[in-house]
Amino acid sequence: MSAIPTTSLSALGAGFSNEALGSQAVFRAVLRALSLPGDPVALEHDAEVPATGHAASAAVLLALLDSECTLWLSPTLAASQAGTWLRFHTGCVLVDAPGQARFAWVAAGDAMPPLASLQRGGDEYPDQSATCVIDVAVLAPALAGTDSWRLTGPGIQTVQHLRVAGLPEDFVPQWADNHGAFPRGVDVVLATATHIAGLPRTTRIESPSTVEA
Amino acid sequence: MFQAFDNPGPGRPLARAHWMALLARAPIDILEPALHGHAALPARWLRAPETGLMMVQGRAGGTGERFNLGEVTVTRCALRVQPSEDAEATVGVAYVLGRSHRQVQLAALADALLQDPARQAALDASLLDPIRRHLAQRQSERQARAASTRVDFFTVARESGSINDDGEENQE
Repeated sequence: MSAIPTTSLSALGAGFSNEALGSQAVFRAVLRALSLPGDPVALEHDAEVPATGHAASAAVLLALLDSECTLWLSPTLAASQAGTWLRFHTGCVLVDAPGQARFAWVAAGDAMPPLASLQRGGDEYPDQSATCVIDVAVLAPALAGTDSWRLTGPGIQTVQHLRVAGLPEDFVPQWADNHGAFPRGVDVVLATATHIAGLPRTTRIESPSTVEA
Repeated sequence: MFQAFDNPGPGRPLARAHWMALLARAPIDILEPALHGHAALPARWLRAPETGLMMVQGRAGGTGERFNLGEVTVTRCALRVQPSEDAEATVGVAYVLGRSHRQVQLAALADALLQDPARQAALDASLLDPIRRHLAQRQSERQARAASTRVDFFTVARESGSINDDGEENQE
């Protein structure tokens, strides 16, 4: 028998204690986050998530991925147990290039791949696009302030303010480009350790700097 | 059902692939009594028992192209077990044919315990040996059943032999 590289399972955590109910609860939270963009949603789950990466992101991916999904992990996550954990529980396929992935997970501190480099789907099949889960330091609903985003678009009655810390400086221009490609485009889920906020491709972001300009 | 590596030969260390192959074919009647004393150990599911289908591939004559033989029902699970207070937790994995959750749980428990060097020898004697005997008995039963229907064909010697055949006849 040839030597097959094996991974020790002893360091892995368990998934949802009840697979069906656990993933349904997280799926409901993701649905809410994406239908009410920019409104942070508390994510409750009982999965033993990996030590690297935010717990909420891990739970979101655990609920959404299956064996037909391709996943790209940012370098910190790729070097950790996170990929093994997701592979064991969901059977997803890990890929090396962000452009091949249907899901991407970017850890806090890692460089986010340019949104334009991710799959955007085609005009005929805009659903064949990537979903990017990004770990951020702060995710807070805010009043109109100098350091908060002003979000508008479907799912937002008038305007939604959101304060985010931990994204690259050129995220807002990249997002404008992504929004402009509608119906193609990337959907983003921002995650702290406990909360998630959705940024579907339909949402417009105005940051204070772009308003002044 | 019966594997060449069931008889690894004397002196070979017990490998995990070997005992996992034995546990996958162990009937629950052997697993249950042999693991009776260990069933209360602290254990946690890493993957609860789940039943699904797997495609079995075959190869005619051992040399032909692979073909899909059919689907079988398989139950699998992964169990994290703490063998003793000071030992590191081990993860046992098991795949068995059929839908018995209890059987796959016991097989995974046995796999986890066999990874603990302190318990390996005792479990080898109390659990794996009965499985080996059971499989050997099943194999001999099956061979006996097949042998009872065996037909030996005899070929009548050819009348016109070659030169070599003539030479042999002369020697006789």
